[in-house]
Amino acid sequence: MADELSTIINDTTQYIVIRLGNEQYGIDIKYIDNIVRMQQITRVPQVSPYWKGVINLRGEVIPVMSLRMKMGLENDTETKDTRIIIIKIDQHEPIGVMVDSVKEVVNLLSSEIERVATTDNHSDGYVSGVGKQEHGLISLLDIELVLQDM
Amino acid sequence: MDVSQYLDIFLDESREHLQNLNTSVLALEQDSENQDTINEIFRAAHTLKGMAGTMGYKRMQTLTHDMENVFSEVRDGNLKVNPEMIDTLFQCLDALEGYVTTIQETSDEGDNDNQPIINALNACLENKGSEPAAPAAKEAAPAKKKGGKKKKEEPVATEPPFKLSDTEQKAVEDALMAERKLYLVKVSVQENCLLKAARAFLVFKAIEEYGEIIAADPSTQDIEDEKFDLSFRLIIASDGDLKPVLQAIKNVSEISNAEGGPFNAESIQAEDQAEKTEEVQKSDDTAEKKDTPAPVSKEASAPAANSTQAPPAAAKKPAGKPAVNRTVRVDIEKLDSLMNLVSELIIAKNSLVSAATVLGSNNNQLNDHIEYLESVTTNLHESVMKVRMVPIESVVTKFPRMIRDLSKKLNKPIELYMTGEETELDRTVVDEIGDPLMHLLRNSADHGIEEPDIRAQRGKPAVGSIYLDAYQDGNNVVIEVKDDGNGIDVEAVKKKAIERGVLTEEQAAVADDSEIISLLFQPSFSTAKTVTDVSGRGVGLDVVKSKIESLSGEVDVKTKLGEGSTFSIRLPLTLAIIQALMVVVGDEKYAIALGSIQTIEDISPDDIRTVQGREVINMRGSVIPLIRLDQVVGVESSRNPEDNMVVLIAKKGDRLAGLIVDELIGQQEIVIKSMGKYINKCKFISGATILGDGEIALIIDANALI
Repeated sequence: MADELSTIINDTTQYIVIRLGNEQYGIDIKYIDNIVRMQQITRVPQVSPYWKGVINLRGEVIPVMSLRMKMGLENDTETKDTRIIIIKIDQHEPIGVMVDSVKEVVNLLSSEIERVATTDNHSDGYVSGVGKQEHGLISLLDIELVLQDM
Repeated sequence: MDVSQYLDIFLDESREHLQNLNTSVLALEQDSENQDTINEIFRAAHTLKGMAGTMGYKRMQTLTHDMENVFSEVRDGNLKVNPEMIDTLFQCLDALEGYVTTIQETSDEGDNDNQPIINALNACLENKGSEPAAPAAKEAAPAKKKGGKKKKEEPVATEPPFKLSDTEQKAVEDALMAERKLYLVKVSVQENCLLKAARAFLVFKAIEEYGEIIAADPSTQDIEDEKFDLSFRLIIASDGDLKPVLQAIKNVSEISNAEGGPFNAESIQAEDQAEKTEEVQKSDDTAEKKDTPAPVSKEASAPAANSTQAPPAAAKKPAGKPAVNRTVRVDIEKLDSLMNLVSELIIAKNSLVSAATVLGSNNNQLNDHIEYLESVTTNLHESVMKVRMVPIESVVTKFPRMIRDLSKKLNKPIELYMTGEETELDRTVVDEIGDPLMHLLRNSADHGIEEPDIRAQRGKPAVGSIYLDAYQDGNNVVIEVKDDGNGIDVEAVKKKAIERGVLTEEQAAVADDSEIISLLFQPSFSTAKTVTDVSGRGVGLDVVKSKIESLSGEVDVKTKLGEGSTFSIRLPLTLAIIQALMVVVGDEKYAIALGSIQTIEDISPDDIRTVQGREVINMRGSVIPLIRLDQVVGVESSRNPEDNMVVLIAKKGDRLAGLIVDELIGQQEIVIKSMGKYINKCKFISGATILGDGEIALIIDANALI
C-alpha cells in the first residue's frame, strides 16, 4: 500500500489550473509562492505593455505582468475572479502574473501528459505539454520560459 | 578549538599592520632620521612576525624576521636609510601582502620563499659595515627556523601541588589499571607569545599523537580561554617514552620549554628539582627580548633596551586591552538585517501617521505620541546608519604608496596630498570606491601631470601635486581628485572622437566643452598618446562612472587646459532611506530625492520661452530648460494649463533643470525598495517606496532626466 502511494506521488505533478479567456492553462505548483486577489497596481512608465506595474505584497515591491498580453491575447478586464499568482523560481526575485481566474489544483500522472515540441507560434510558445483530464485539455505552461523571455 | 578561528582576526590585523608599515616606510623615505617612525615600523614588523609565527606561517615569519633585523639596525643607528633599502622594504611589504592574500584564499601561505627579497634584506645589513651585531642577528634567523626554541625558564620557587578533580582522579586510576605510563609535563610558552591558547591547542594536538591527556592544571577549558600565565601542567597517559612527546611539544613554535617525568604521588614534589636543569639559551631570543621594550617606551635608547626584560613586556599588555574592549566586531549581514528592520519600522510609522490623518487631527494625545515616535525612528535610523559608517581612511591610506611607485615608474616627481580621510561613508560604499579612486589617481599621475621638462617650460614646480580631498556636503560625501597637471585637452578629445567615429565633424563643431569631456567617460576612450601599463587602455573612466553610478553617485569633471583638472565624486551618505519630496503627476504619486532639488518655484505659464525647440524659463538671470514630468511618465496632467506651475529646480553638477509637476504633497522620509531586475528598464525610475497607506510610489531620479 505504502509502495503504491509513493509511486503515485513520484509519478504525479501538481498543477494549478488557471483560465485565460476560454482556455485553461496549468502552472507547476512548485513555482507558485502565493495567489492573491487583485489589488491596487502602481503603473511603471516606459516599460513593455505586458507589465501591469508593481504591487505591495507585505512590504515587498513585486512587479506584475499580464499573462494575457504576454501571450498575445487582448488586455485583461478585471473581474472579481481576477487573481495575481506570485511566482518564485529558485534565487530569482518573485514576480506576479495576472490571470482571469484560478480554477483548481490537479494531479497529473506522467502518462496523462503529452509533451509537445515548443514552436515559434507566439501564444503556444510557452506551452511545454498538454495534460489530459476528463474535464478537457490543460495546456501546461513552462513558466521558466515565460520569465526568461523578458 | 582550532587555530582557524583566529584566521579572520589574523588576516584583518595583518592587513592593518601592513598598511601601517606601508605608511610608515613612506614617511621614513621623507624623513629618514625620525626615531618615532622607525620605532613604529619596528613595532608593527615585530607584531606581524609574532602573529605569523603563532599561526604557523613559517615563510611569512622568516621574511618578517629578516625585515625586522634591518629595522633593528636602523633603530640602533648602525644602518642608514637609503633609497635602495626603501625599495627593498616595499618589495618585502608587497611579498608579505602576497602571503596574506594567499592565506586568505587557501588558508595556506603558499610555497614562495621570496628568497631574492631575503637576500636583498641581508645585503642591506651587510652594507652597513663591520659592526658585530649584524652577523649575530643574521645567524639568529636560521636558528629560529629549526624550531629549536628554548629560553630561560621563569624561576619558580615552589610548584603548587597538582590538584586532580574527581573525574581526573578516576582517569588516572583507569590509566594505571590499564598499565599505561603516566607523565607529568610542564609546558612553558614564550612570554611574548600572542595567542597562547592557540599554542596550547597545538601542544595538545602534538601530545595526542603519542598518548592521552588525562588532566591539566589549569583546566583545559581555562587553557583554551587563555586563563593561564606562561606555563601549564598536563598529566599524560602514554604507552611509550616521554622523550618523543617532549620533543614534539618543543617543536610547536613559541613554546619555550617542555619538561617532565613520570607521574606519581611524589612527582609533584620532585618537579622543583627538574626546574633548574634547563640551560639558558639566548642565541635567538636575546634579539627578540630587547626588541619588545623599545617600541613601548619610545625614549628608551638602544643600549638601555638591552638590559630591560620582562617588566616592559608586561606593561604592554594592559595598555592594549582597553582599546580592544571598546569595539565589537559585527558581521555586516547583521547590520544589514538591522537596517532592514529599521526600514520596516519607518514604513510602519508612516502607516500610523496616515491612519491618524484619516481619523482626523483632533486627538492631540495621539498626535503627540506619533510625533514622539517619529523623532525616535528618525534617531534610530541615524544611529544605525552611523554604525554602518566607516572612515574612508581604510581605502585611501594605500594611495600614497601607490603614487610613490607610480612616480618612480613614470619618472615624474609627484606628491599626493590627502585631506578628509576621516570622512565617513556607508561600509558597503567604502568597500566599492577604492577602485574608482585608484583609477582617477592613476589617471592624474599618468595623463594629468606633465613630463618634468614640460613642467619646467611652463614654470610649474618640478614636483607635480595631486590632491585627494574628501568632505561631507549635506547628505552627500564629495571626494575630489585634483591635479596641477595639463588638464584635459578638449581639442585632442574632439579629434580623437571624430577619428573613432564617435562624433561627426558637424556634431563636434557645435558640441560644447562639457559634452566633449563627457565623452571621456564612454567605454574604450583614452587620450594617452602611448599606452602604458599604468593607464591608457581605455578601461578607466567609463568603469569609474558606472561604478559610481551603481552606488547612486555621480562623477563630474572640471578642467582647465594647462592648469589641471578636478574629478569630483559625489556619493549619498546612505542608500536605503532618504528624504524625498512627494509630488503628484496626473493621478500618480512620485517621490523625488530631496537632495537633488535646489528650490521649488511657482512659475506662470506666460514665463515659458522657447529656445531651439526647448521650453525654458529665465530665472534670476539663468536660463533653465523645463521638463514636463507628465510627458515623461506618460500621463495626462491634472492641472489647469492656465494656472501657475509648480517647478522643482533640480541640479546635476553645474546644470539645472526645472521639473514641472502637478501638485506638491510634501517632504517625507522614504525607504527605497528595489523593483527587481525584471522591470527596471526605465532609466529615470530608481526604485519604489511604500507609502503610509500601503500604496506604492515610484522614485524619480532627477539626475537621469537632466
